[in-house]
Amino acid sequence: MKRAKHQDVFTERPPVKAAPDAKQLRKLAGDWLKLRRADAEMSQADLAARLGLKYYTFISQVENGFSRVPTEIMGAWARELGLEQAAFARHLLMYYEPELHRLLFGAENK
Amino acid sequence: MSVVAFERKQDSGEWSEKELKTLVAGLGAAMAPGTGREWETGMTEKGDAQFYLLGPLPDQACELCVSRISGRYILEDGSGRLLFEHRNLDLVALHAKAAVPSTSWLMVRAITLYCAVRNTFHEKFEPLLVEGEELFVQFVPQLAAFA
Repeated sequence: MKRAKHQDVFTERPPVKAAPDAKQLRKLAGDWLKLRRADAEMSQADLAARLGLKYYTFISQVENGFSRVPTEIMGAWARELGLEQAAFARHLLMYYEPELHRLLFGAENK
Repeated sequence: MSVVAFERKQDSGEWSEKELKTLVAGLGAAMAPGTGREWETGMTEKGDAQFYLLGPLPDQACELCVSRISGRYILEDGSGRLLFEHRNLDLVALHAKAAVPSTSWLMVRAITLYCAVRNTFHEKFEPLLVEGEELFVQFVPQLAAFA
């Protein structure tokens, strides 16, 4: 079932157990990105081509939770997935820099 | 007639033991105890193998990634920059080794720190020692006279 874009895709939250480490959070971000790409009906190779990457291996690196989406291509990544750029960046910040996200947006207003 | 068995190069699927040995041996120095670096493997959605060199805790972010696509090895850094690509894994491992943030940088910092400490010691404490020595030379004959 395909999700309606810009509606509930940003409501998913990291589990609120004991503070997960950076690696776990990157993995969760990767899972979320994988779902968003599936929503956009694109393969890793399609997305890489649209982002101007020679190989699709970096998409896999990010989706497997070993790397972050680099800031310089975050906007393009969001655009190719058909997502609003600011909301996309804000959502990823929740995984990549949870404390900064909390300071900027507050715990209750994720 | 005897048939010589040639080792077939793997084009897709998981890493072979030989490939992993090559990569781990190539990056051995980068993963030496004390560096905090580790490695992990993964797969792309197409089933192509990936090898990740992870930095130390707590972040454990990917520093280098080697992927095998259709028998070609791709070396990228943790930001997706393509560093090298070749069909020869030994060559890729060599480039990976060179691309790892070097420990010599730490060595340079340690040497700089040592020089700074030494310089401070010379500037601050050496005059005191020299002064002490002068006093000693001055008082020893007098002390000897008393004795």
